[in-house]
Amino acid sequence: MRRSNVTTIMKKEFARFFGDKRMLITLFLPGILIFVLYTIMGSAMTDMLSPDPDIPPTVYVVDIPHSLEKDSLWSWCEIMNAVDQSMIKQQISDKQADLLIVFPADFDEAVARYDVTTKLDAPNIELYYNPLEISSSNAYAITVSILDSYEATLANKFDLNRDIDGNLATPEELSASIISMLMPMLIITFLFSGTAGIGTESIAGEKERGTLGTLLVSPLKRSELALGKILSLAILSFLIGLVSSVSTILSLPRLIGATDAISVDIYTVKEYILLALVILSTLLLLVSLVTLVSAFAKSVKEASTAIMPLMIVVMVIGVSGMFGSASSGSWFYLIPIYNSVESMSALFALDYSSLNVVLAVISNVIYCFIASFILAKMFNNEKVIFSG
Amino acid sequence: MNHSLISVEGISKTFKLSKKQQKLTKVDSKYLKAVDNLSFNAYEGEIFGLLGPNGAGKTTALRILSTLIKPDSGDALVDGYSIITQPEEVRSKIGFLTGELKLEDFFTPNYLFDFFSSVHNISSSVREQRKEILFSRFGIDGFREVKVANLSSGMKQKTSLAVSLVHDPNIIIFDEPTNGLDVLTAKVVTDFLLELKESGKTIIISTHIFSLVERICDRVGILIDGQMEVCDRLERLTGKLSLEDLFFLLYQERKGENI
Ligand SMILES: Nc1ncnc2c1ncn2[C@@H]1O[C@H](COP(=O)(O)OP(=O)(O)OP(=O)(O)O)[C@@H](O)[C@H]1O
Ligand SMILES: [Mg+2]
Repeated sequence: MRRSNVTTIMKKEFARFFGDKRMLITLFLPGILIFVLYTIMGSAMTDMLSPDPDIPPTVYVVDIPHSLEKDSLWSWCEIMNAVDQSMIKQQISDKQADLLIVFPADFDEAVARYDVTTKLDAPNIELYYNPLEISSSNAYAITVSILDSYEATLANKFDLNRDIDGNLATPEELSASIISMLMPMLIITFLFSGTAGIGTESIAGEKERGTLGTLLVSPLKRSELALGKILSLAILSFLIGLVSSVSTILSLPRLIGATDAISVDIYTVKEYILLALVILSTLLLLVSLVTLVSAFAKSVKEASTAIMPLMIVVMVIGVSGMFGSASSGSWFYLIPIYNSVESMSALFALDYSSLNVVLAVISNVIYCFIASFILAKMFNNEKVIFSG
Repeated sequence: MNHSLISVEGISKTFKLSKKQQKLTKVDSKYLKAVDNLSFNAYEGEIFGLLGPNGAGKTTALRILSTLIKPDSGDALVDGYSIITQPEEVRSKIGFLTGELKLEDFFTPNYLFDFFSSVHNISSSVREQRKEILFSRFGIDGFREVKVANLSSGMKQKTSLAVSLVHDPNIIIFDEPTNGLDVLTAKVVTDFLLELKESGKTIIISTHIFSLVERICDRVGILIDGQMEVCDRLERLTGKLSLEDLFFLLYQERKGENI
């Protein structure tokens, strides 16, 4: 095999795809759209879920008791005394006011008097709000928590988490778990769809248009042609996958509406290198599968149809990776596609065994070599060349 | 006599027919012997014609010679190389031309010429020299940067011809050289074949057009149902008969019926 022949084929494939503006747009647009779409979706969702912080909710109270009058308790809202309760209720349902709190007239005395052992009703506070308005339900939730904690201090048998933050999950772990759930599925889907697009075009398309035969009567070896095709397609789909994956990582924080909670600098160089190896070897595998299927097909259309079941399998395995990483035995990492999803998932979750990841990479490369060998054999098979 | 550059030794090729093909050919057999124990020689510096009706097996025979498909049995030596065991060497010695093998629409004649030159491992100075000669010979000069998709079919054919000759092969195998061409383009192509012959190249063409054979071929083999009926110098075969009459005679003999 001559390396220069392989690179000649690769150069031609690159010229083919990079020289064609329409092709470039159809290949890279999805990635860019993902970014735009997720960002718009993310910011729309964030807007919807978080009320405008510049306008504090308007809260009306009736007979606020002395014990709850402290300004620091109500600094988050604009608090006013209610004059006309029914008018304010109307305003709340019209989304002009957010909350009405009605205390019993002698709240503090009633609370002091109250004893669980007597059969008398405990003093009751009425809250009126509108769950259809975000700022209203927020005001309601905050008020409930204020009142709850006040109620807790009244009994005061013990304190819970006073002055400390009990959430021990680090922001890194939170990021890692969100990313590890979503990314493997997204990455493998992006990689596959990019590969499917150019793979069918490059093999079945050339067959359909009769240009593959022209290559086959040249003194190129079948293996040079097969390897040149697979390598160039892998690089091209890597670029496509890269654009999609980077757009996803960039837009992920916005999508989840938590700009601070998600960060990708939690990973070290080692994880990035392993991740890159997993992605590259997965690409080689996907490209090999797609080219094999395309080589059997007569036309791009037939190839695309034949690839659908493969696509579904890949996506199902991808989705399966979202739920619980079964830290299964090493030999599971020899199963193609599954090994890629599991490796990525484990890497993103910062909970991986290097041995398993390396095993996955090596097995993928071996599968790719087997596939190129089969593809080269197929280029020698007249049924493949002239299946018209 | 010159020495034999191509010697075909008893090649056979059987195709398995699909149900659809079986119906089309109106035969019950599941197999079709497209080429049946075919042997012939093409000598250095001549134009050899494979003449036969549709479905005679001409294309199949030429595909076997150019190593695109393998025969079930038999072998052929092309410039001393076996099509079975040395396919890459064979392909580097021949230029194979046919309407079915297309050039990629997306590229320009210039790009394709360069691409196939590097596939044939040709230095860039030699390449540029040949490109000038071939492009001006076929009037491709003005279209060298036009994508193949936008070329007329005659210009496409001429570009194919130029691109198949980047390596200046000594042997040219041409399936149906004038198919689909207007008389002017056809004349450009046949004149060029004669020119190639003058410069010492060996050429095998296949055709069903008798006049083409009469005009350019030195020797001819008549193929019917995959078998070589006769094979000799043109003038020795025809004698008093025209080539067409000879063919009808042979065909009648073989089929045992009137046409
Ligand atoms: N791949 C194939 N599978 C099945 N049958 C085939 C295949 N290729 C050719 N044949 C059959 O073999 C026979 C010979 O075909 P071939 O193309 O060699 O004929 P030909 O002499 O070139 O005819 P034409 O003048 O129409 O080009 C035909 O009956 C054809 O249908
Ligand atoms: Mg034919």
